[in-house]
Amino acid sequence: MGKSLMIVDDSATMRKIIMRTVRMSGLEFERTEEAGSGVEALEKLKAGPIDVVLCDINMPEMNGTEMVKHARQLPNCASTKIIMVSTESSEDLIKQVMSDGADGYITKPFTPEKFQEKLTPLLN
Amino acid sequence: MVTTVSLKEALLDSAREVFETMVFMALEDSSDDSASLGETSLAGTITFKGSLEGCLGVCCDNSCARTIAANMLGMMSSDEVSENDISDAMGEIANMVMGAVKARIQNDVGSIEVSIPSVVQGRELKNSLGEGSGKVKIRVNIEEQYRAEFSLLFREGKDA
Repeated sequence: MGKSLMIVDDSATMRKIIMRTVRMSGLEFERTEEAGSGVEALEKLKAGPIDVVLCDINMPEMNGTEMVKHARQLPNCASTKIIMVSTESSEDLIKQVMSDGADGYITKPFTPEKFQEKLTPLLN
Repeated sequence: MVTTVSLKEALLDSAREVFETMVFMALEDSSDDSASLGETSLAGTITFKGSLEGCLGVCCDNSCARTIAANMLGMMSSDEVSENDISDAMGEIANMVMGAVKARIQNDVGSIEVSIPSVVQGRELKNSLGEGSGKVKIRVNIEEQYRAEFSLLFREGKDA
């Protein structure tokens, strides 16, 4: 069965850019969804399981680190792979979000190769 | 300790990295300070606080901003780009350049917290940070066709 992907970013343009970069990486998803905030992402995760979530950190309303903590409480998210995509690159923050439940971290600016490198091991 | 010179280098290197990776356009430092940015300009801005506080801005004319957005979105024609995409793209450029600057200087200056970017119509960041503040500004040529300006206003923060 094909995999599903959700992109979470408050910028609609950045969601399109991430989607394009994922396609350029050669990775294929049967179903793709978008969410404009951490709150909207949690609603979609509650509605049904999603295999991979690419999530921004610096967002209004609910930031990415809060979203990860809440998502890990959901039964639907036990096997969901959550990758943070952010301009933030401090080691302390990366350690923190990984301990909060994220499975990986991609810093902006990014390349298709970076998505392939980070996502392929998680999809297999 | 971060200096004006090292901040200028960090700003230029960061802008180059973002443009090469995400905009697919070459960016070169321009010594021509007199060249105009165009009549109507957009400015993507982002503030930061912590050991160093201030604001980073990227400013260019509408035509340049439209081309930047089209390249980031992989569109064949810049005519397809919406006003919302242009505004979002300028905010994301400011956000990514600030993130790259932060990565380059945080070992020297300490912790910096970055805000959410915003975009305004305007041509230049005015320094209202007061005494003890500094400003670095770089003018760049993009693909020898467009001009843009990156500015960084800063002062030592309360957490320094």
